[in-house]
Parts: sequence; C-alpha cells; structure tokens
Amino acid sequence: MHWHWLIVIYLFLGGLGAGAYLTSFAAEKGWLGKNSSLSRVGYFIAAPVVAFGTILLVFDLGQGLTKPWLLIRLLANFSSVMTWGVYILSAFIMVGLLKGYFAFTNKTAPNIISWAGAFLALATGAYTGLLLSVIGAVPFWNSGLMPILFVTSALSTGLSVTALLAPWVEKNFKEGREGEAHVYLIGAELIIVAIFFGMMNSGVYGPVGKESAALVISGVYSLVFWGYFIGLGLLFPLVIFTRQYLHSKQSEKQLAKEPSLAAKESSEAVQKGHHSYLTIVTDISVIVGGFALRAIIILAALPIWDGVTIP
Amino acid sequence: MDNLKGKLISRRKVIKIGAIASTALALGIFPGRIVKADASSDAPKNPKQLGFKYDQEKCIGCRVCQAACKDANEWEEGTEWRHVLTGKSGNFLSISCNHCDKPACATVCPVKAYTKRDEDGIVIQDREKCVGCKYCMYACPYHAPQFSYDTGRISKCHFCFERQENGEKPACVHRCPTGALTYGELTTIQKSKGAVSQLEGLPNPELTKPSLIIIPKA
Repeated sequence: MHWHWLIVIYLFLGGLGAGAYLTSFAAEKGWLGKNSSLSRVGYFIAAPVVAFGTILLVFDLGQGLTKPWLLIRLLANFSSVMTWGVYILSAFIMVGLLKGYFAFTNKTAPNIISWAGAFLALATGAYTGLLLSVIGAVPFWNSGLMPILFVTSALSTGLSVTALLAPWVEKNFKEGREGEAHVYLIGAELIIVAIFFGMMNSGVYGPVGKESAALVISGVYSLVFWGYFIGLGLLFPLVIFTRQYLHSKQSEKQLAKEPSLAAKESSEAVQKGHHSYLTIVTDISVIVGGFALRAIIILAALPIWDGVTIP
Repeated sequence: MDNLKGKLISRRKVIKIGAIASTALALGIFPGRIVKADASSDAPKNPKQLGFKYDQEKCIGCRVCQAACKDANEWEEGTEWRHVLTGKSGNFLSISCNHCDKPACATVCPVKAYTKRDEDGIVIQDREKCVGCKYCMYACPYHAPQFSYDTGRISKCHFCFERQENGEKPACVHRCPTGALTYGELTTIQKSKGAVSQLEGLPNPELTKPSLIIIPKA
C-alpha cells in the first residue's frame, strides 16, 4: 500500500467534479425535466473541485514541493495512463472554468464548449478508474469494470452535490426528474458492485483478488464497505429516492385526474418535501458513500506477490 | 398503487437492467488474466537481453550479494535494491530488479524515468527525473522500485551497468562466494539444466516477462 488518503480524496474529487459537470449538462439539455434548476450549479463547482483534487495530488508526490519543475515531464509518457490523466484533467479544468464562466454570467456558451466539457468530464471520471484497472500486479484493480464503476459513482455523487447546492444558489428552485435519475444511477451502481465483488470473491481474478475482496467484505474494511458504502451510499438513498419518486408520480396522476385545490395542495406538499432535511441528508449520504468506495478500492489493494513469501 | 407499480417496472426497464448487468459481466472478464504459466524457454524480444541466474542449491543465505549491492550503489535511506528471502523449508531466493522484457514500470511511469537499453535490455531508472508518484511500485510485481522517504524518489537495481561497461561484473555477482548468483545473456542461461522462470507463489512470468532464471533445489 503506497497510496493513502490524498490519493483517495483526489480520485473522489475527480469523480465528483466530473459528475457535477455532467449533471448540469444533462439538466441544460432537458434530460432532467423541463427547466431543471440544476443547469448551472454543477458548472460552477466542476472545475474548482477537480483543480483542488489535482493540487492535493501534487502534495502526495515525493518531489511535488521540493522540485516542482520536474512535474512538467508528467506529460512525457504516452503509454502511461497517468500521463493521459494529466492531459485530460488539465483540459477539463480549462474547459470547465470557461463553461462555468458562461453559466455564471448567464450567457449561452458555444455548443462546442459544452460538449467538449461533457466529453472531458466523462474522460475524467473514466480515467480515475482506468488508472487503477491497468495495473496487472494488483488483481483487485485489474478489472475492466473499474472505470465503469467509477463513472457511475461519479455521476451519482455529482448529481447529489449539485442537487444539494442548487436550492441555495437558485432563487426559484424547482424539482425536476433528478429523483428518477438518482434511482437509476444507484440501481446501476448496485448491480455493478455486486458483479465486481461477486467475481473478485469467486477467484476469477486469482487468489490475491479474492483476498482483497475478503478484506472488504468480511475483513478490516467491512464496516466501511457495508456501513458507509452499501448502507449509507447506496441502499438508504435508493429507498428514499424511490419513495419520493413514487410519491411524486402518484401526486402527478392525482393532479391530472382531479385538478382540485386539495390535490394541488398535496402535490405542492410533496414538492416541498423534496427540499426537506431528509433530502439533504440523503444527498450527503450518497457523497459519503462515493468517498468510502474510493477509500476501499485504494486501501484494499494487495500486490499479486507480497515480495517476501517464497516456497 | 398496484397499477402504478406495474408500470414502474416495465419490461423495457427489465431489459435495460439486464443489458447493464451483462455488459458489466463481460467487461469484468475481458482482460484475459487467466494466463498459463510456462517454462523459461520463452525467447526475449532482444536476443542480447541480460538476466540474472540464481541457483538455489548453491546459495547459503549469507546475504553478501545484498551488502555488495548496498556498498557499490549507495542505497538511499529506506531502499533495498536486492532482497534475500527465506522460505518455510529454509530455501533462499536472492532477487532484485528482473529487467523484464515487458517492464510494467516503464509503461506506467508518467515522466519516462525508465528506459530499457537496446544494447542489453537493462532497465535503468533515472532518479533525477522521478517525481515520486509511486505508480511503478504498484505496477512492478517484484517490488523492485524502492521509494525513499528521505529523498522522495524511487531508485532501483540498474544491473551495475557502469561496472559492466568497464568490464566488471555486477557487484552482487562479483562478491557471491558460492557462485549461486551469476548473470549472462538470457537465451544462454535459459538453457541451464533445471532452469525455471517462476517459483510457486511468485508472480506469473507472463505479466512482465522477467529476465530471471531460477534453478530450484531439487
């Protein structure tokens, strides 16, 4: 284990920023319902969040503070996924800042900027997983599922942080289809996690992969895994968001059937309920879960050979 | 409510979820990790590739190879370029960088601090270029790259390439009193009697194609 908390935070923030951008992008395109209130806040925070994570990474480098001029060579090796990451993150931070500026000044950004940003955001999210998945000597990381899992978690946490901040920033906050998006993302993540750990645990990735999985499922990291990641990060939000989604569907129907004053009131009550403390707690819970996932993946990485044991 | 539920989990959604699940499953399996272990006869890409040869029968576990390496190469605080390991049955293994045919360190290093020489396949790491990201420490299955918290950078065995250029043997080989540790062109030492490229429990040689030949105790 050579990487610690700074790397965990860096991977987490990379995903969070990328997810926030994509949330606002989706909202802007109308994929989260008409006039979604999430169409700006994600753009505001995306680049700063990723940039902050990148600065943390510099502190983790052995030479980050002593010989920072060496860092320019990080662009040198095109066969290194880390080099790809430096390009992707730099580009995303620049495009993200530009798009954030347009969103902040309520100007319409050129389409090319919005799309380039969305592409780079997706690349950023995938990169954080790909960085790990190409390491053949760490079986726990060496899965093609890693980038998919990280992108899904990035979207989920990005949606939560945007939904969390939007009511404070936007004057006439209106709930869109984000509850539904939450349900799909968390559902997808649960399936991916189940397959990932199922395969790890069954030994498809060799005995060391199985050992790593055991550390997570029943070993020292089991509390973080079951409590923070599965419980707080996935199951609890899944229950809350599904409930809210069903309620809002029902009240919508009610309203369509009998557009009476009472029905309208109850529909508004449901709408109001969405900005309640429960929603805030749930969104925070999703974010905590996303962080726990990065921590588990980094901390439970065992090398294919411990460097000591011989027959 | 019942009607509503029926609508929520429609057939389309079931198909969607099934598609996600099967894609995920396929992606999990694809990077063919079920690689077969095989004998040491695999020819390296470079016919002049140098490698270490370690004869378990001859080794007495004196650790002079380690000390010789430390003296000759002035290990940075906290680094060990060569290890002498002891097994449960009392067998030893002296191991350093294996100057692999497919060096994972060189692939992942973002600053190109690693180079594999054309003339002899030695993998040299330039510590002046290293930024200390430790990515190579994860990539190398043999724990060859060593990080010093003192200097904040990686260093590792370079096969005493400077000594070799002056016509000398690598320090570890030179000082080994029993001749357990030797070196030579990989294609030659692979032909040694009883030569293998992997001991049980060590990484699959297919991963990086190490230039290490072991003659296990019979």
